[in-house]
Amino acid sequence: MNEKAPPSSSWPLKIFPLFSMLGWILVSLALVLGVFFLAPNAAQYFGENAKAARDAAENGSFLLRQLQILSATPRWLEPLAFTGIASFMIGIALEFSTIPRLLVQRGNVMARTFPLIVQAERS
Amino acid sequence: MAYQKFEDPTPPLPFRQIEKMMPLYPALVLMGFLLLLISFFIGLMVLAPANLAFFAEAKEIRESAAVGSSFVNANVTRHVFETWVPQFKFFGLGLMLMGITMALGTIAGKLRLMGKVIASKIPAEQRPPTPAIPGRVRLFQLAALLGIMILLAVLIIGLVLAAGIVPAYWNHAIAGQLNPAAPGSVLLNQAGSVFSFPFWLNPLRLAGMAFLFTGITIALTVIIGTLNMQAKMLAEFARRAIKPAP
Repeated sequence: MNEKAPPSSSWPLKIFPLFSMLGWILVSLALVLGVFFLAPNAAQYFGENAKAARDAAENGSFLLRQLQILSATPRWLEPLAFTGIASFMIGIALEFSTIPRLLVQRGNVMARTFPLIVQAERS
Repeated sequence: MAYQKFEDPTPPLPFRQIEKMMPLYPALVLMGFLLLLISFFIGLMVLAPANLAFFAEAKEIRESAAVGSSFVNANVTRHVFETWVPQFKFFGLGLMLMGITMALGTIAGKLRLMGKVIASKIPAEQRPPTPAIPGRVRLFQLAALLGIMILLAVLIIGLVLAAGIVPAYWNHAIAGQLNPAAPGSVLLNQAGSVFSFPFWLNPLRLAGMAFLFTGITIALTVIIGTLNMQAKMLAEFARRAIKPAP
């Protein structure tokens, strides 16, 4: 029943924007890399080279390097983007965690104020 | 409605439509759930059988199968459905998240309404002024709308690809036509699009989800802000009522 420390000053409300921001950074990073790096590379690798040339690519060649990038990057980039989504969820959970305390505070204030409102309305 | 006189004035478009939609959040959640259920049945009844049919024979046999054969048809089916079903699933998830945002918005609206009802019981000379609707309300509504629009656009792109370039490319014999395609040919150009679209479309749908989560985050700040402000206003009223100003 603590009315002296309003929940607005509690730590979850101070740090939840950081998680939302982290979420945006990670999702944006995945989008930028996907649109400007991976998609053009994939279009070039599959659209400009016959299968025979792709299969015959030798160690150290540009084609093999492209194949490595196209195979390896999504393996970490997609989980990173989902970590961004998880980061939003942490922010939301932190916000929710303050609501029970807020409701207790609200109940206390109402209990104190209600007789005064009734009294003021009668007078 | 009993509290009609305490309602805020109707906002301008597009917020008027959004506010009308807000109490319909159970329908949005149900619709999202139904889309996910449909995706499950498509996976069970179309995608899984198509994959079973395609991988039923040795690589040499399925890749040498001619156009019109069951192998090529199964290959087309599995690629076409894999192009639009994931976007459909995310649209369903998006509808559910939008439903949650709208439910939170409805809670915030009711809190404001109840605050006004309580304030109306306080004598006019002691009554605190009604605060303006926070700007963040419009912000969370816009974020949710933008998020679902992005997911809808992604679904439409998926459907267009699934109806056009994806079947056009895969409806060929793998060994006889797709593998020998030469640089500059239509088939190889199509391959470039078919193999590259997931690299930009998948992150785009996550950006749509990010907007929806941002909507939920902002809607919660509105609820927290409203609860805080009302508690402060009531505490201030109590302070003044107990110690009247000289």
